[in-house]
Amino acid sequence: MEDDYFSIDAILAENQKVGCRFKVDITDMGHLGGGGERDITKSNTLQLPLWMVYTVVLSDWADMIMPPAFGSKVRNALSAEPCSVRLASLVGAGGLWYGFGRTIMEMLDPRLDDKKKDMSDLLTNTFRKRLYEVIDQAQHFAALGPAGGVGPAGDSAQSFREGLDGTERELFALAQEGSKRMKRWYEEGEKVRR
Amino acid sequence: MSLPPALRASVTPPELELIACQELVEIIPLIPMEKTAFIAGAYGPLRPPHRASIPIWMALNLKQKKKCHIIAPAWLSVEFLDAKIKQETTQAEFTKLPFHFAEISRVLLDGASDDLQNPDKLRTLLQDLREARQAKARAGLESLEHSTLGLSNLSAMEINEIRPFFIQAMAVLKQLHVPPRQP
Repeated sequence: MEDDYFSIDAILAENQKVGCRFKVDITDMGHLGGGGERDITKSNTLQLPLWMVYTVVLSDWADMIMPPAFGSKVRNALSAEPCSVRLASLVGAGGLWYGFGRTIMEMLDPRLDDKKKDMSDLLTNTFRKRLYEVIDQAQHFAALGPAGGVGPAGDSAQSFREGLDGTERELFALAQEGSKRMKRWYEEGEKVRR
Repeated sequence: MSLPPALRASVTPPELELIACQELVEIIPLIPMEKTAFIAGAYGPLRPPHRASIPIWMALNLKQKKKCHIIAPAWLSVEFLDAKIKQETTQAEFTKLPFHFAEISRVLLDGASDDLQNPDKLRTLLQDLREARQAKARAGLESLEHSTLGLSNLSAMEINEIRPFFIQAMAVLKQLHVPPRQP
């Protein structure tokens, strides 16, 4: 998610395609769209890999279209109930929704500070509201022990867990590991006592 | 780093226990002992039946050999903990407890439960207290910010438990934060 060149997370977060509407004609580059046309024509929309979008947008050859993962539909769903949105399915398996969002945020027109702020607020609020549930479930699972237990009541919880994005998954694992260690420590004492 | 990932984020509970065992505790010795120098300092002399203050690790060792009685710290009593639980559940902030209360109470309950009054009750009370505080710490997650975190009166063990994911969560928030533009 960070800017570090060597960060695997940063590379994975950029493994996404973003729609771009071209403002100029570009000859002999039609193969980028995967179609049969020879040229990219004006107002044509293409799905470009994120690393290319940087150059294309900054050179003012095209406008970026907000990816559906951050579109109004998702925004509305998130403002209604952040925990019921499956972030993972928005960015594909192993995807990093927050990382992707951050990259998009960085690419937004620097002259439009409000838009950037909006995006940051969206990401931050979503993260914060979901975090509680993430930690709650992680601790719950740590308490269950290796046997685990998926009751019939776990439907919404399970769907939430499946919808976690990569960043949240990592946090889940951290919290679970921490709680497990604590549990082990407390139980060790009980064994000594017996 | 060559440490396994689990050890990188924070120290382990047994390590904290070791640190906590440096704290002093009062004992009633059953054997006399001259003042003795240890790496951590000089302790003693022990003159039964006068009380003496020695580190917990030493007290537990003597206790194991039935050479002393440990006097429980004032906070390790049913009345005190009862009051603390009441405070904990009525106030928004954490109540003040000894920094190492979780570790000390556990080692004393394990090693010297016959010197404590009503150890079973103490155990349940400590468990209740821990759960109340844990719930509070979790509720604090919702107001987590990218730059600062204030959780006063949290004990060593609790800080240690939440440290790994609080750090990670704050790092994520920092990445998502747009600094206000310089005028």
